[in-house]
Amino acid sequence: MHDMLKITREKGGKIKKTHLMYKANLSHKQMKSYLDELIKNKLFESKSSGNRHLICITKKGQNFSVKYTQIKEFERTFGL
Amino acid sequence: MKIVFTPDWFLNNDILIGVVSFMVLFLFFLFAVKSYTLNKKKSILYLGIGFLLIALGELSTILTKLILYYDSGIIQEIGQAVITSQIVNTVDIFYYVGFFFNRFLTLLGLYLIYMIPSSRKRSIDFFFKTYLIFIVALLSHNLYYFYHLTALILLVLIINNYYKVYRKEKIINTKILIAAFSLLAISQAIFLFSKLNYLYVTAQSIQLVSYIILFALIIKILKNGKKTKQDGHNA
Repeated sequence: MHDMLKITREKGGKIKKTHLMYKANLSHKQMKSYLDELIKNKLFESKSSGNRHLICITKKGQNFSVKYTQIKEFERTFGL
Repeated sequence: MKIVFTPDWFLNNDILIGVVSFMVLFLFFLFAVKSYTLNKKKSILYLGIGFLLIALGELSTILTKLILYYDSGIIQEIGQAVITSQIVNTVDIFYYVGFFFNRFLTLLGLYLIYMIPSSRKRSIDFFFKTYLIFIVALLSHNLYYFYHLTALILLVLIINNYYKVYRKEKIINTKILIAAFSLLAISQAIFLFSKLNYLYVTAQSIQLVSYIILFALIIKILKNGKKTKQDGHNA
């Protein structure tokens, strides 16, 4: 799930559902399940502009992603 | 008997170095706790406790030295020889306990950090080794080099652990970590000869550099977390 947040952050905070699915290497079923969870926890929000359905990372999602990346790097530094 | 080997002109600087060391160590503890709340990995928690113990050891030295350097005023204010003598005795015990806690907590913290990769083996063995550390800390009151030698051995073992991590993962951060711990080990080796004033100051200065490197490492990790690939590489 963190990969989804990270990919969206790298794309400037918003991404198409299909692009996210492709970049995170997920099946449609996995994607739906993770996305529902992330939206439920207010880390992602779904936005529509015209015919385009975009997935946007929320402020909470951004903060979580930053924190998670820092912690992962901290762990890797110590080989934990 | 000489309690500290700090030359007079360096008296406040060593407290300042202690404060910097305490702050950096406490920062590592906070980071480890933050990690633990997110992933519940026990190894991270043990790492945090290790850093906290060393930080508390530093705090113990800072407080002891502050009183050691500034206690003459208290004694003069009382003015009666008998009371002064009693206070000096109390202060002696205070120094003894203060420096004992510094040695015991620092060695225990280093031992915990060293033990983390083999945490599954932790059991009665851990309590026995804690007891040995207690004995070393106790004996080091008269044989100061006993403490520095034990700290040096533990640091070399920790460096060996991180060198294995570096060989496997090839992460720059681990390289920085090895550099910082190597400097700490060098400072402990120099402390073995700290009866010579200039070597004591050299060891303290090297210790300060190693904590500055550790601080820079934390800043690097925090900055990298905020980066995305558009800004630069994360790893």
